[in-house]
Amino acid sequence: MKKYHNLFWNIIKSIGILAGFFVLCLAIERYFEASTLVPAIMTLAVFLVSLVTDGFLYGILASLLSVLELNFAFAFPYFAFNFSIPENIISAIIMLVITIMTCTLTTQLKNQENIRVESAKEKMRGNLLRAVSHDLRTPLTTICGSSSTIVEHYDQLTKAQVIQLANGIRDDAEWLVRMVENILSITRIDSDGVQITKTSTVLEELIDSVLMKFWKRYPDQKIEVDIPDEFISIPMDAVLIEQVIINILENAMQHAAGMTKLELSVFREGQKAVFEIRDNGCGIEKDRLQNIFKDYFEMKDAPVDHQKKSMGIGLAVCASIIRAHNGTITASNRKEGGCCFRFTLDLERNEDEQL
Amino acid sequence: MNSYKVLLVEDELNICNFIKMVFETNGYRFTAAQTGKGGLDKFQTEKPDLVVLDLGLPDMDGVDIIKEIRKNSDVPIIVLSARTDEADKVEALDLGVNDYVTKPFGTGELLARVRAAIRNSRFQNAGSSRSNLQLADMTIDFDARKVTIAGNVIRLTQTEYHIVELLAVNTGKVLTYAEIINKIWGYSDSGSVKKLQVNMANIRKKFGEKPGEYRYILNELGVGYRMSDEGESIV
Repeated sequence: MKKYHNLFWNIIKSIGILAGFFVLCLAIERYFEASTLVPAIMTLAVFLVSLVTDGFLYGILASLLSVLELNFAFAFPYFAFNFSIPENIISAIIMLVITIMTCTLTTQLKNQENIRVESAKEKMRGNLLRAVSHDLRTPLTTICGSSSTIVEHYDQLTKAQVIQLANGIRDDAEWLVRMVENILSITRIDSDGVQITKTSTVLEELIDSVLMKFWKRYPDQKIEVDIPDEFISIPMDAVLIEQVIINILENAMQHAAGMTKLELSVFREGQKAVFEIRDNGCGIEKDRLQNIFKDYFEMKDAPVDHQKKSMGIGLAVCASIIRAHNGTITASNRKEGGCCFRFTLDLERNEDEQL
Repeated sequence: MNSYKVLLVEDELNICNFIKMVFETNGYRFTAAQTGKGGLDKFQTEKPDLVVLDLGLPDMDGVDIIKEIRKNSDVPIIVLSARTDEADKVEALDLGVNDYVTKPFGTGELLARVRAAIRNSRFQNAGSSRSNLQLADMTIDFDARKVTIAGNVIRLTQTEYHIVELLAVNTGKVLTYAEIINKIWGYSDSGSVKKLQVNMANIRKKFGEKPGEYRYILNELGVGYRMSDEGESIV
């Protein structure tokens, strides 16, 4: 639909400009008898056409048309085609060359803009790779070091020491697993052309799955859950949304110092489901709050080392996932202390016709 | 100690090694193959009680191995899969696999799944002769079509009871949405999964279960449901 719309407008613009300038040429010819101006004016017309339309096609067509126009109306014999006079042919060829070159230049200009956007994306990817590789090094160091210690010195180590080393390996391996899950999620969304597939997911079952996974890792952390009693089904990529909630909960576990209460609630607001994760910890500093969802991608050349070994990537992943679902995500500090993460997803449109 | 024999088909030697260690220290007899063909050969000669199968083998598609085994055996099969292959998981389950474990996994999780699969197959063999199932404080009386929890009778609709019964007969095994829909309604259309989910939500409400604390019917998000077999006792 949009394609035809573009085609239509490009044609209208080209024809409008060419016709306007043709009339202008006729007028100049008529009243000033300055036919030497005509080629320059037609070149300007073609230049304008290639500037306001997309791609080569319209510019080249316009240049061909203007060559014919020139030949037909402004070169001897007037108002008849004549390609036998060498002068006419040469002027036609020069005209064509000029217009094609103009066209090439303006098209290049437009391409350059695309390249700039593309390279910004590339830069973001580069930042992500650099930050991820750096973050991966720390746990890999533990794993390599601890395991080779066990292999090389197994007979000098006490049982307790071996267990301690093995525990370190396990903890860092589990951290790596979560990191890889996050990276996988990002690539699942960012790879061009791949759309997320949404399936109707029962809210209750989603929350169940989230809690089971969360409690596997933090068996002692209580979460106050408040979801509607009614049957709610939301179209989503459940694996990804599950990850969003878990990332936010884990972010609270790691960064909300002094937290005693963690709440997860979901409610309806018009045609949207609103998810809220609230804690009563230390809150987030104001200047960090602004960029909290994109920090990881936009860290310029600042050394990554000062970063705590953190979920870092976690919140950035959340934002990408929610964006891919056409939802919104925000973070804010609460008046009563602590912070509140909130994201929305569209509900199914025909919620009531079921059953 | 038990004397069950486990066959592992997995091409990664390091993974093989630690799984072997885990099974042997837990009293299982263990045998392994690194290729699909080798796995099928060993399956014929060694006659294992359970197969643990990696879906990503170099020489054969895991799905073909499952089909080959299922041709003349209903030995429990547990599939090892990567997270991204959700469709593979469902396909494997629909082909009659008992359970899946997502890589990477802890050994505790793998052992629990193996125990459940073995219990499930024993239960299947005892099969129709059973008239009663006891899960923690829930009792299902198959003859009277009655479900009680802690002595209280749970009033289920006919469809709800059929779903509970189906899951109970397959205790410990993950049943996919498609499998349940097929067995309960005999046909499926675009609204079927929703219909099943609504019924399931009602069953849970009647069971008095809250998200994160499901005790009887466990939820495998995006895949299906499973009757928990923790605390099962054979009656």
